[in-house]
Amino acid sequence: MDATSSCPSTPRWNVERPFLTGRFHQETKSRHSEAKGFSMDSLNTGLEKAIACYHASVQELIVIDDLLSALVGIEGRYISIKRFRGKEFDVTFQIDASMDLALQELAKRIFPLCESFLLINQFVESRSQFKTGLVNHAFAAALRAFLLDYQAMVAQLEHQFRLGRLSIQGLWFYCQPMMGSMLALSTVIHKASANNFMGSAVLNLLQSQAKAMAGDNAVRSLLEKMTQCASSAYLGILERWVYEGVIDDPYGEFFIAENKSLQKESLTQDYDAKYWGQRYSLKDGIPSFLANAAGTILTTGKYLNVMRECGHNVQVPASEDSKFISFGSNHHYLECIKAAYEFSSTELLNLIKEKYDLLGKLRSIKHYLLLDQGDFLVHFMDIARDELAKRLDDISVEKLQSLLDLALRTTAAAADPCHEDLTCCVERSSLLKRLGTLKALEIRSLADSNDLKEPVSISGLETFSLSYKVQWPLSIVISRKALTKYQLIFRFLFHCKHVNRQLCGAWQLHQGVRAINMRGTAIPRSSLLCRSMLKFINSLLHYLTFEVLEPNWHVMHNRLQTAKSIDEVIQFHDFFLDKCLRECLLLLPELLKKVERLKSLCLQYASATQRLISSSVDIPKSEVPSKGSLGLEKSKQGKSRIPSRVLKLAITNSTVTDSILKFEKEFNAELHSLGPILSNSAQAEPHLTHLAQWILGVGNEQ
Amino acid sequence: MPREIITLQVGQCGNQIGMEFWKQLCLEHGISKEGILEDFATQGGDRKDVFFYQADDQHYIPRALLIDLEPRVINGIQNSEYRNLYNHENIFVSDHGGGAGNNWASGYHQGKGVEEDIMDMIDREADGSDSLEGFVLCHSIAGGTGSGMGSYLLETLNDRYSKKLVQTYSVFPNQMETSDVVVQPYNSLLTLKRLTLNADCVVVLDNTALNRIAVERLHLSNPTFAQTNSLVSTVMSASTTTLRYPGYMNNDLVGLLASLIPTPRCHFLMTGYTPLTVERQANVIRKTTVLDVMRRLLQTKNIMVSSYARTKEASQAKYISILNIIQGEVDPTQVHESLQRIRERKLVNFIEWGPASIQVALSRKSPYVQTAHRVSGLMLASHTSIRHLFSKCLSQYEKLRKKQAFLDNYRKFPMFADNDLSEFDESRDIIESLVDEYKACESPDYIKWGMEDPDHILTGEGNASGAVDPKLAV
Repeated sequence: MDATSSCPSTPRWNVERPFLTGRFHQETKSRHSEAKGFSMDSLNTGLEKAIACYHASVQELIVIDDLLSALVGIEGRYISIKRFRGKEFDVTFQIDASMDLALQELAKRIFPLCESFLLINQFVESRSQFKTGLVNHAFAAALRAFLLDYQAMVAQLEHQFRLGRLSIQGLWFYCQPMMGSMLALSTVIHKASANNFMGSAVLNLLQSQAKAMAGDNAVRSLLEKMTQCASSAYLGILERWVYEGVIDDPYGEFFIAENKSLQKESLTQDYDAKYWGQRYSLKDGIPSFLANAAGTILTTGKYLNVMRECGHNVQVPASEDSKFISFGSNHHYLECIKAAYEFSSTELLNLIKEKYDLLGKLRSIKHYLLLDQGDFLVHFMDIARDELAKRLDDISVEKLQSLLDLALRTTAAAADPCHEDLTCCVERSSLLKRLGTLKALEIRSLADSNDLKEPVSISGLETFSLSYKVQWPLSIVISRKALTKYQLIFRFLFHCKHVNRQLCGAWQLHQGVRAINMRGTAIPRSSLLCRSMLKFINSLLHYLTFEVLEPNWHVMHNRLQTAKSIDEVIQFHDFFLDKCLRECLLLLPELLKKVERLKSLCLQYASATQRLISSSVDIPKSEVPSKGSLGLEKSKQGKSRIPSRVLKLAITNSTVTDSILKFEKEFNAELHSLGPILSNSAQAEPHLTHLAQWILGVGNEQ
Repeated sequence: MPREIITLQVGQCGNQIGMEFWKQLCLEHGISKEGILEDFATQGGDRKDVFFYQADDQHYIPRALLIDLEPRVINGIQNSEYRNLYNHENIFVSDHGGGAGNNWASGYHQGKGVEEDIMDMIDREADGSDSLEGFVLCHSIAGGTGSGMGSYLLETLNDRYSKKLVQTYSVFPNQMETSDVVVQPYNSLLTLKRLTLNADCVVVLDNTALNRIAVERLHLSNPTFAQTNSLVSTVMSASTTTLRYPGYMNNDLVGLLASLIPTPRCHFLMTGYTPLTVERQANVIRKTTVLDVMRRLLQTKNIMVSSYARTKEASQAKYISILNIIQGEVDPTQVHESLQRIRERKLVNFIEWGPASIQVALSRKSPYVQTAHRVSGLMLASHTSIRHLFSKCLSQYEKLRKKQAFLDNYRKFPMFADNDLSEFDESRDIIESLVDEYKACESPDYIKWGMEDPDHILTGEGNASGAVDPKLAV
């Protein structure tokens, strides 16, 4: 549409001046007759009347002369052109009715040829304007060449006539071979001009017409020739697109449209990756002979464009063989397209794999976002502990970033050149809520979505996430959406790691009191609970990493090695992410909520451990003051509360035991209620049986 | 340089196995005998800084303290090819150089005397690390220095670095042969008390089993110390791979140990390794798969702790926890299948009172060490049968104690002066209760065991006075 408006327009005089349009014959004639209306009327009528008076043989000569004019679209003395106002292409020839009937009949048989000529000529003129597009230009040019042949034939006939060798039967005889072709062309033109066809529509029309006329060899080959001529310009556009990735289409005829408003930079923000999907798109009106290859053609040019955007100038190596000469039945053009596609897709794939090191990047993302090399996280959590524990609004992202950089520099990640692309961010909502808002992920909607209310005090630990700077052209594969999925997995893992850390802290607290005799205190019970919780979180982490992430990554990695095009790469990568997301429970809110509940119980217990242990430790101390250098801190604590200690400690002991038992009860209840949910979901998601085996005490089945 | 670990090698045995350990680490990280990174070691992705730090000239120095009371072994190290590897300030040899005479009390007493010097060294190393994770102590429990001085160091570390982890690699004496150290049972018992009370984790390396493995598995008719020590260094390096080659899990020592150790005192681990090879020995190379490795790890003949249990007791013994560290090129999908198979075959007998299963950590193999096998595995396990090892120590002690043999050597030192042998009795009690606790682990109601203590029946009294808000007690 844009193309038509921007194309140069022909000056008006080009249309208006009859000498330029070839209509002057008719127009001068009619004006002539109008002008002479009064004075020459008598002469005209006199002449007309005269025709009947002539002898038939003379009449024949006059008619032949008139017919020869009519064949090139000029009115004769006894043959006139009748136009219907408003209908440019509706023209009929009329002959003086007083003529000899036999001659009249013969002349009338020739008229369609004359009408076709006029029609075609007019079409040629009107389609030569800029706005009608390249296909029409080419078609018109071919028609013009064809008309030249026709006119030459008429001239030859006239020569014969002058030599006195042409009778009207002879004329009819010579006209006949032309008749079929001209009529076929005029039907095509009729349809084309009636619908104002442009571009591929013309080609489709020509082709279908050629097929329809398959019985008439001459006509079919003519139409095929026309199709070929008309399509040559179109094939030129196609050639540039397929070989260079350029849309050279001033009149908007090509079936691929470019949406220039989509910039490649948008890929890093746009969740839907519109750039890749919609920057180039197929329009309506794909020529039927390309219909099957349209997708391939689109991607071929798209790939070439990506490479050009990378500043990597690629051109499909041109050879004689690769020219789009025709789209005949030998399907040579299809092979060319296929070759070009293969070239551009392998070239782009190599570019992305080799120069931009896609796999290296993915591996690095795996190191950080999937915690494949978790040592940096251990250090990061060490140094960022205080910052992360703050309320959301108080967290300074800049500080976290600098701590993250520090952690990356001092761990194994330092060897990875990509580690600088890692950034951190703090999201606003908890993982569950975030999952709820990402409708695009097709999460089974929660019936009770209302209770997804934000916990009152949500800290950085729940919302911390990493992000990764992905540069063009890798953003084609690692799009915003893909990255978001990585982040979701990361957040889940991160929180599990956090829980694990806290429980390890609690475990260490238990370790600190091993020197005293613990029998009879709540500590053994507590350490067993600690062990159960650790077991749970470790099993969960083990499931997530070794049962889900690692095998799936392995599969994807192998598939990427064999991928043949970038689209396949994207597909495999997306498949990997979706599978991981699903198997990581992130698409099962019901289950996830249960797991979150268990994790929060673990956290509550871990934070209470310090208090529980230090209050239960005092008891044996009072009874059996142990010898040697044991737990200095604790004995200091003990001394501060000497009076009424025995009684008070006894009380504490039972309350400590009670609260540990309460934790234990709650935890076990939650854990057991996880069982049925897991086994229910496992019917739909078979991998969950693995998780169930891990979490729900495999050791019990002996 | 986070989560560093400082290694203390004490005594003859400790220094010997320590040296083998550092040799192995240098090989695995591509560090030359001089501490310089080899040209080929460019792959990265490993964590050298857990066990090494870099000097100003970029050469790597082990975070290791070499401590002995007699100069023989340390002189040997200082004359070896590796003499430039260690920081010379970190080498401590007692001035008089007379050793501890295989006497625990002497080692302990001398340890007290040189506490300041050694703690200075430890503090210096600790200050040189960003966030120290803990200490590793290599020693034997039978001799004088490693056991006595090692015990003293354990207590001191526990005091001064109460927040840090202490892991030990403790070599238990060969109980099959009559030892030249007659007081071995005394030394063992006294050290065992400290290992129980002052270490977070003890990796038991049983010389009996090491010898047996060398003879039976490696077909060495008369295994040398160097050969058994290389077994030890293999275990030590393998058990630290997850720290040195970071992966998904177990990237810190605390995470590694927390999952293995159920209750504070039951922190004795046994190990197994497969496939075993000894340097310069052409072994028949077999096909290794994850399942194969895991299955072999569960076989008693591959386990580096001897079982002294009688058959009936052996069948009662149960695994409390297992961590398999699998190294090499592993298809991760195999892991699940292998675990499944092991579960189906019921190859593992787990405790009944809590959730338990084989945990697996996949770890990379060093790219610089060529091994004939694709997959190798280390098992770290907490198993109740280890109590028989302690019982054996106890019974040997009882035998000597009954005879009041060799006690004079101990009475010379302040701890046992004035015929005060209560230290022996206390140690005996603690080991006995440890054995009891392991035994209790074998029964399904271990949970109750901890709660009902015959000595302290206090729980009943609390209720009378009403409930006190536990928060007030903080």
